[in-house]
Amino acid sequence: MTDVMQLLSEYKEASREGGGADPRPYLARVSGTDRELLAGLIDAYLEQAPRREFDAERFHGSPAATIAEEVQRSLAGESGIWPALLPQLRRRAELRRSELVHQLAARLGAQAQEQKVGEYYHRMEQGLLPAAGVSDTVLDALGKIVGWTAAALRTAGTLPTPGPPRSDAGAVFARTHRGGAPEGPPDARAAQPAEEWDEVDRLFRGTPPSA
Amino acid sequence: MSGLADDALIDYLRGAREAGRHDAMKAAIAVLVFGYHDTLMNRARLKLPEPDVADVVSETLASAIASAFDGSSVGEFKSWLHTILSRRIADYHDARTRTPRTAPLPGEHLGDEQVWGEEPSEPFEGDALHARGCLETAYCELERDSHRAVIDLYVLRARSAADTAALIGEGMTEANVHQIASRFQRRFKQLLEEGSDTGGEL
Repeated sequence: MTDVMQLLSEYKEASREGGGADPRPYLARVSGTDRELLAGLIDAYLEQAPRREFDAERFHGSPAATIAEEVQRSLAGESGIWPALLPQLRRRAELRRSELVHQLAARLGAQAQEQKVGEYYHRMEQGLLPAAGVSDTVLDALGKIVGWTAAALRTAGTLPTPGPPRSDAGAVFARTHRGGAPEGPPDARAAQPAEEWDEVDRLFRGTPPSA
Repeated sequence: MSGLADDALIDYLRGAREAGRHDAMKAAIAVLVFGYHDTLMNRARLKLPEPDVADVVSETLASAIASAFDGSSVGEFKSWLHTILSRRIADYHDARTRTPRTAPLPGEHLGDEQVWGEEPSEPFEGDALHARGCLETAYCELERDSHRAVIDLYVLRARSAADTAALIGEGMTEANVHQIASRFQRRFKQLLEEGSDTGGEL
């Protein structure tokens, strides 16, 4: 039988650059209690592993780059970690954005305003819609579609609390346009007078400012 | 930027965000996410089915960095990150068995009461779920600091036996290091076979 400590040593050697080695091939070489033993040792080793040194070439185009972009949008936006969470939940539910929006509009009884629902949902994914204004009705409907609770979605929208407005010179929020995102300015509706708000606006934005 | 420690990076990020300088945050976020992504993925692979690993890790990184901004993270960033990953993995398995909710970590959920996680998926027995508790028990049973140092340096980090002996001093030899590691492994295995995992924090 292969010695567990020898396998751990091999794994550590392969991971020397900072956690990069997949443990499963090593686990596959042992069975039963020895497999559990090795898994526990690798787990504890990884937890102590130092931060991997940044490598711009490897980072570019990697899954980590996608996550970093989502985290950046979360920190820069007004929607908590929705920019990181919502696309992931949508993928897990195996729904294209258009399909999710279609279902969301139906659950909100707003089939006739599916495009508007889509614009608001896009702003949620991009971190451009203040989470506090999004009603429980929307979160409940969304949660049923993606398999999460409304309360968990609400909390995700509050982490972290929104920061001050962007101040870097000439700044325009960079928006990614994935999955058929609408091209229009996402905050165009913010300029609408309050009296023009309809039920969909209120569902996604709360109470009109002048109400 | 990559030369900064985690806490310095978080401070830098916080400052850039408070100043509204969002572009300035990108490099620091990239260093943090790249720096821990693979480690988290590989830890998650020990405990989750492969199709769900990336999603859990993505959510972990976002939650950990975001909570660091609110000052609600606990201790050093790396430990907090791994704590959140462990929490998400537990939530994942709780959801599988339909446990209704899990108590939030201090500061993490800001007082709300909800389950993070998704609907149950295919059964999966993670390799390291039970093992980790046994390892912590075996570690806590070590009576001498020097023996715990052997486990820290030689078993759980990447130090050689010779380096470990030299770093600990106190008459520790390379042969002692091997003996202590071997005894630790035997005790860990014994606990696994007994099904005991009621240890403390490693």
